[in-house]
Amino acid sequence: MTELENDRTEADARFEQEAVPWLDDVYRFALSLTRNEAEAEDVVQETFLRAYRSWHTYQPGSDARRWLFTIARNVFLRVRERGRRQVELEDGDVETLAAVREQAESRSESVDALLARIDLGPAIGDALGRLQEPFRSAVVLVDVEDQSYEAAAEILGVPIGTVRSRLFRGRRLLQQMLLAYASDAGFAAPSPSGDPA
Amino acid sequence: MTERTPRVDCVSALKELWDFLDGELTPDRLEAIRQHIDICSSCFPHYDFEKTFLEAIAATRPGCSAPDRLKARVEAALREAGYSGRCAR
Repeated sequence: MTELENDRTEADARFEQEAVPWLDDVYRFALSLTRNEAEAEDVVQETFLRAYRSWHTYQPGSDARRWLFTIARNVFLRVRERGRRQVELEDGDVETLAAVREQAESRSESVDALLARIDLGPAIGDALGRLQEPFRSAVVLVDVEDQSYEAAAEILGVPIGTVRSRLFRGRRLLQQMLLAYASDAGFAAPSPSGDPA
Repeated sequence: MTERTPRVDCVSALKELWDFLDGELTPDRLEAIRQHIDICSSCFPHYDFEKTFLEAIAATRPGCSAPDRLKARVEAALREAGYSGRCAR
């Protein structure tokens, strides 16, 4: 075996030991992002191909899962969002928080009770599938994959403040969708002004 | 009695509620917000709702593993790129 072949075999062995074990995690992450099995499988295959081709740039000892998530999210954006206009509304933290709290405070107690009564699982899954980028990735990373703001920032390549802003806005959009879902399901009429029913 | 942590009122508790639920506050601040929420009849329902909401999002996490056919497919694609290892077990 030549030295070059030997290096390649060693690199492949490291890839098998450090990257491949995260295939299930990358698949679940891709599934959360795409909400579609066929698309998730495409994302996983492309992610591992890119990772393999770029394996020489991987820093040994760093977080391979985080590295793979970064690639997977980029693949997802390229596959899914190609040609689609992204909503790049980067609200300031204060503005977002103010809007969120305004909504929370204007919501009557009955709406909280209403959302507690409906089965949130299917409704949230559906709402996540309709949530636009860049909010969906932030919500999936922090709320579904339980990543810290710092880890999500590294994966997304943005500052922590941007993660927080996207996350809070994404959650607010999800809550608005759930209220619409509850209304459509006949649980209650929407109360856009927040006035008590 | 001297307070060891900064005072928390309803405005600051609600403003920091998601950071609190995400565990993104300092231990002192986390404890201060927790103490406020525990005793505040106004903030607790907000906390309870947001907690339920976040738990519902977390529950959407797929529990499945990657299908074997996907592992075989990834392995085949990697082999075409020169990979000599395995993906499927």
